[in-house]
Amino acid sequence: PQRRPEAALPTIYAITPTYSRPVQKAELTRLANTFRQVARLHWILVEDAAARSELVTRFVAGAGLPCTHLHVPTPRRYKRPGLPRATEQRNAGLAWLRQRHQHLPTPQPGVLFFADDDNTYSLELFQEMRTTRKVSVWPVGLVGGRRYERPVVENGKVVGWYTGWRADRPFAIDMAGFAVSLQVILSHPKAVFKRRGSQPGMQESDFLKQITTVEELEPKANNCTKVLVWHTRTEKVNLANEPKYHLDTVTIEV
Amino acid sequence: NEELWVQSVLEMPKRRDILAIVLIVLPWTLLITVWHQSTIAPLLAVHKDDGGDSQRDLAAGLDSKEYCLSERDIVEVVRTEYVYTRPPPWSDTLPTIHVITPTYSRPVQKAELTRLANTLLHVPNLHWILVEDSQRRTPLITRLLRDTGLNYTHLNVETPRNYKLRGDMRDPRIPRGTMQRNLALRWLRETFSKNSSQPGIVYFADDDNTYSLELFEEMRSTRKVSVWPVAFVGGLRYESPRVNAAGKVYGWKTVFDPHRPFAIDMAGFAVNLRLILHRPQAYFKLRGVKGGYQESSLLRELVTLNDLEPKAANCTKILVWHTRTEKPVLVNEGKKGFTDPNVEI
Repeated sequence: PQRRPEAALPTIYAITPTYSRPVQKAELTRLANTFRQVARLHWILVEDAAARSELVTRFVAGAGLPCTHLHVPTPRRYKRPGLPRATEQRNAGLAWLRQRHQHLPTPQPGVLFFADDDNTYSLELFQEMRTTRKVSVWPVGLVGGRRYERPVVENGKVVGWYTGWRADRPFAIDMAGFAVSLQVILSHPKAVFKRRGSQPGMQESDFLKQITTVEELEPKANNCTKVLVWHTRTEKVNLANEPKYHLDTVTIEV
Repeated sequence: NEELWVQSVLEMPKRRDILAIVLIVLPWTLLITVWHQSTIAPLLAVHKDDGGDSQRDLAAGLDSKEYCLSERDIVEVVRTEYVYTRPPPWSDTLPTIHVITPTYSRPVQKAELTRLANTLLHVPNLHWILVEDSQRRTPLITRLLRDTGLNYTHLNVETPRNYKLRGDMRDPRIPRGTMQRNLALRWLRETFSKNSSQPGIVYFADDDNTYSLELFEEMRSTRKVSVWPVAFVGGLRYESPRVNAAGKVYGWKTVFDPHRPFAIDMAGFAVNLRLILHRPQAYFKLRGVKGGYQESSLLRELVTLNDLEPKAANCTKILVWHTRTEKPVLVNEGKKGFTDPNVEI
């Protein structure tokens, strides 16, 4: 095969934890529609489930982009409100990446980020994150009780955090606000999202602490002044009219 | 004897150690070798795009090789021909889909339109008619439309105070988006002559719903009015037209008022442009429309039940979801606003 310009592009790995609920397929559909616009994007979809579901399996088969389908269930004791979510699923994504790349003879350029299935991503975001050398950061819209949160940048370096919640965190940033180069993940094989000793809201901070320092962060999105990703949330569906008995004669997936 | 005994005691642990080491290390060595082999071998498999694989009716050059990878089957994909043209090149043979989207300013507006545009950018021969509920066309929307690269028309009309929803009250008696949709219909009638041979389909797409790409291909063959199921409306997983064995719509599978003339959501039908042009008096009724009857107010001017064309495998597949986005919590903005208003969200 000829080497095209695309072949030199670092692959972007999107790690998406997902769980079963009525809007799941809709969320994955519109996320796929965005991801399919991005060159060299590899989707790592991790179900919070003891086994691969039929819905996601079928979805992945027709998704139209390179996709790895994993699953790991969250232990019941961690399924309480206030506790961090999707920890096991993100770690499974990291483990897969490490397993896949650790033994390759030549290092492959790549960037990974954590893409929750209900957020909204502009196409420009992917251009920005692709040039990540170690860890890059950018603003996130509609989070922290504010229109946006962002890293504060001076002379091309992150010097602080503009956030509505606990600005004293070492990395006061949302999961949607950073990307990590594959090289950094491989060279820090023990860096994972932790549960023990991790307070709620500290997941991102505790993770980034293990792999980088604030001085090393690369600000993107025009020195962190543009919002290219939004922390949207989808309303819970009203199923008040679903019958308890006399169910439909056919089974239709939504 | 004691010496011998001591010697043998010293030797025995050594033999035991060796045995233990062999018994413990050997299986691990085997395991690691086998695991190593199985992950390396698939990595060496290279798949080339064989070109004729396109399942969707998209322009040439789009690599549509689809992969379902299990944990162990990791296949390296070498893409040699992926051409990311956004939107796809215009085709002379496909009818144009005119997507009418009313929109209004609120914190999630740009996000909603961004992800909707990311979907629409896949669809060939698509014309997006975005109608703002505003006094003037806003810079945010102007910039957004220009930056997408889509074929678009940017309109605006402000809903008068009487009809506007107060705060977040979702009063179904007041039809939101009606004036905007009607303006788009009027624009189509002023732009395309009745005898125009340019085939087109008209679809009303609210900015917070979710659309599969398959939906747009289903609606492209609409002759008069086509219909399909919609998820998450009417308090159900989905509402759907009832289709008989002859492939004709004879009723509506809904709990909420199934006796409406057209018990269907805005996202559940598309109209051939010809029909819009030939019935210039057909608009959405603005006043005195009961909740859930908006769609009927237009459709009864255009078509009878018998003329409806069921799509999505005789209305058994869900290709569109009536998702709604949560109002974001902006409590930390305070009364006067905290963040820089010049940073657009």
